[in-house]
Amino acid sequence: MKQRGRGMACMWYPIGFTVMANPSAATVKVNTDGTATLLTGTVETGQGALTVLGQIAAETLGISTDDVHVVSGDTDSTPMDTGAIASRTTYVTGNAIVRAAEAAREILFESAAPLLNVKPDQLEARDKRIQVLGFPSRSISIGEAAQHSESVVGHPAIGSASYNPPTVALDPETGQGKPFNTYVYATQIAEVEVDDETGEVEILRIVAVHDCGTAINPMLVEGQIQGGISMGVGFALQEEILFRDGVQVNPNLTNYILPTSLDMPDIEVELVDNYDPTGPFGAKGAGEPTAVPTAAAIMNAIHDAVGVRITSLPATAEKVMTAIMEQRGAQEQRA
Amino acid sequence: MLVQLKVNGELRSADVPPETTLLKMLREDLGLTGAKLGCDVGDCGTCTVIVDGESVNSCLMLAAKANGHDVTTIEGLATSSELHPLQKSFEELGALQCGFCGPGMLMSAKNLLDKNPEPSVHEIRDALSGNLCRCTGYTKIIEAIQDAGRAMTGAGAAA
Amino acid sequence: MATTVKDVKKAAEALETNKDLTTPAVKPVTLPRDNPVVYPLTLPESEARLRTPAVGQRASRPDGRLHGLGQTKYIDDLTFPHMIHAKILRSEHAHARIISIDTSEAEAMPGVLATLTGREIPVNSFGPTLQDQPVLAAEVVRHRGDGVAAVAAVTEQIAADALEKIKVVYEPLPAVFDPMEALKDEIKVHPPASNIYASKVIKKGDVEKALAQSDHVFHRVFRTQMVEHVPLEPHSSIALWDGNGRVTIYSSLGRITLGREDLSRTLKLPQSKVRLVGTIVGGNFGGKNEITNEPILALLSKKTGRPVKCTFTRGDEFISSTIRHPFIMDYKTGVNKEGKILARKIHLVLDGGAYCSWTGTTIGKGSILAPGPYEIDNLHVEAYAVYTNKTTTGAMRGFGAPQVCFAYESQMDDIATKLGIDPLEIRLRNAFSEGSASPTSQVLQSVAVKESLIQASERFGWEDRPR
Repeated sequence: MKQRGRGMACMWYPIGFTVMANPSAATVKVNTDGTATLLTGTVETGQGALTVLGQIAAETLGISTDDVHVVSGDTDSTPMDTGAIASRTTYVTGNAIVRAAEAAREILFESAAPLLNVKPDQLEARDKRIQVLGFPSRSISIGEAAQHSESVVGHPAIGSASYNPPTVALDPETGQGKPFNTYVYATQIAEVEVDDETGEVEILRIVAVHDCGTAINPMLVEGQIQGGISMGVGFALQEEILFRDGVQVNPNLTNYILPTSLDMPDIEVELVDNYDPTGPFGAKGAGEPTAVPTAAAIMNAIHDAVGVRITSLPATAEKVMTAIMEQRGAQEQRA
Repeated sequence: MLVQLKVNGELRSADVPPETTLLKMLREDLGLTGAKLGCDVGDCGTCTVIVDGESVNSCLMLAAKANGHDVTTIEGLATSSELHPLQKSFEELGALQCGFCGPGMLMSAKNLLDKNPEPSVHEIRDALSGNLCRCTGYTKIIEAIQDAGRAMTGAGAAA
Repeated sequence: MATTVKDVKKAAEALETNKDLTTPAVKPVTLPRDNPVVYPLTLPESEARLRTPAVGQRASRPDGRLHGLGQTKYIDDLTFPHMIHAKILRSEHAHARIISIDTSEAEAMPGVLATLTGREIPVNSFGPTLQDQPVLAAEVVRHRGDGVAAVAAVTEQIAADALEKIKVVYEPLPAVFDPMEALKDEIKVHPPASNIYASKVIKKGDVEKALAQSDHVFHRVFRTQMVEHVPLEPHSSIALWDGNGRVTIYSSLGRITLGREDLSRTLKLPQSKVRLVGTIVGGNFGGKNEITNEPILALLSKKTGRPVKCTFTRGDEFISSTIRHPFIMDYKTGVNKEGKILARKIHLVLDGGAYCSWTGTTIGKGSILAPGPYEIDNLHVEAYAVYTNKTTTGAMRGFGAPQVCFAYESQMDDIATKLGIDPLEIRLRNAFSEGSASPTSQVLQSVAVKESLIQASERFGWEDRPR
């Protein structure tokens, strides 16, 4: 007979390396037509980092995402980056980019100010124009400002900067300190159906609500959450490297089971409305947290459905069935 | 041995050792690197192409077996002026992340929509079950296939 | 035949006056047969990419279109003139001394251009924290994924065949596989060092006193398994040199700055002589954050004067690339009648595989996160990582967080069930708020646990329980 159950799990996860310095550097160059190039030492690993980093540069310069060309992944031409690891890219590399873009923007303001008869700190960059604060009609295009800066003033609009999250080393005896500058939080709730005659678990539905600070690109954050959940589902129910005397028994995709399109449930994603003032435009990060609470939510749902507490992963059908039988046996003994 | 076949509408040929798979011939002899090598034993689907109207794991097919047949790869989907509706939907809805499963996934999707223009979600999941993806959880891929299906039948794409 | 402006003008005039066009002035161009046409599709750009402000836009990714066209070039899609292929021979034992390696028969095979063993590597060790891992094992193998020799040949098939001709003589050593066994230090993986190669303690308050004062104490041991990242793209690299002694490596590495440092160190080359290029990685998840065979390829390329490529097989991915640490987690939690956590005592044992890799980060993060997002004044976390003769455990999406979350959230529901409190309610009673103190006494800001709990419950319909 199939029994339904639901379970929730919440989690917290840090951004960046534990205490250790993990800087990122960036360079932003504004072209004489108002488009720009961003140089970053990170490498696109599928999560959409280059798109998000381009958006951050674009926002700082007041231009559109499409106006920024992102160059990455070459130690000859891109500045150092600690890497796409520890969910740090949006936050650490993003902050480096904000500072680099601000430096380039400052050069534009310095050059544009005399043309608009104001001081540089009375200007803002917005909607592809450098305009006077409070008097937006007094403006020149970013392209004009960049051209003027390069060819008349003789100061090309290039900015470089780096960023490293501030931390406090952990006491070696008590572990007390400030290992990370910021954290993200999330809750996932799973609804499952457990067949109490075979131990098979089917996931019917997962609701995921994640905090990532400002979502620079909500479409990409959703993608990360959905992908992270699929790794969580595999971790919960299917994946396992089996060893026998030091030899892997299943080093192939025939016998190492991971979620296919048929194993994934409908996923509903929502983002918490949050803003972290230490992050670029309030953003924190999303890469790893998405894969953290899924297995726990599923185990709690199994517990709710059939009353068994699975204490080791993965919760294969055999394991669930064994637990159900043990529980029945114990109940019969008590009766 | 000489293998001759039609690839994306063009007659192509190459001289390959007899044990060469169709995947290897496409990637190394014909310069079509869209189809990928993910496992070489037909488990992951990244090598999926369409042969005579059926989707096939090209790592499991000998190039010799494809001699004289009609092969469509990812490179044959777009024209010089237009994306295939699947490619358009995948792009707009952010369906792919690292993209490695993309060519195989798109060929399986095309094969499905060519035969079943208005598939249910379950039918889509079933058609994709041989294409593994580690990045996306399949959610946006399924949405994009539904979107493309609607566009192709003229039912109008979702916003 | 050269085309001049005069020729084109003549052709245009001929068209206009309908003259005989059998011998056109302009010669037709033939496309090369090998290269598929790359369509510079000029389609309208997605609206979200064109809007300002840029933050918050659902902008499509520029690589999204290239992925869909099959035009994205991953490392294995790249070829270079005169490129050859390398394969790696892996250990036949989980723990053994290498007595001798004889590559002469392999070298004599037609089509084999070079072989390489660990002794030829200038600095044969690497690792993000401890440099305890050899590029190619030279004296000892510590798990079956250890590489012991490499071959470069004109085709992949010849390289694979040549591996079988390499004769390695091993002296098997006793091996340890169970982390609890490894803790005893009876069979050592890296003698004379202890198998316990990393540890962490986090404590505050007085956990024993608080446990004794609790109304209920819950105790359970949780375990997780070995899992692999399974990126769809296997690890892949290509190495090539120029006449100035500068090496360029194209690699699926996700961290090129660190990669260049590692290459500079292992090859004993100044960093300015090393160039590391990434294109786009087909899935990382933590498994492509350290070098694997790049120094091997650089040296094979140097020996042969040809670009050398090596792509992992799917089998290599499982046995040789890193995997997630299995955790053994002992959780003891004391609560009062209302379900408020008064004390939590946690003991973690990490199966640390054959080499350190990213264990330092995993044990640190795992320990800090282990108590969960809950306000707990009395806390004791103790964690140990041990070597075993199994696949190297490294960074995998979460660095210990998925493991400990499974433990602390399972126990939370156990507490809720026993006390008859709703799972949502018990979490709200304990969760962090803005300004709460973390397990390391950090004052937390931008906290959103309760918000995520409430919002998720509302979306799910948690309150509308059908029972």
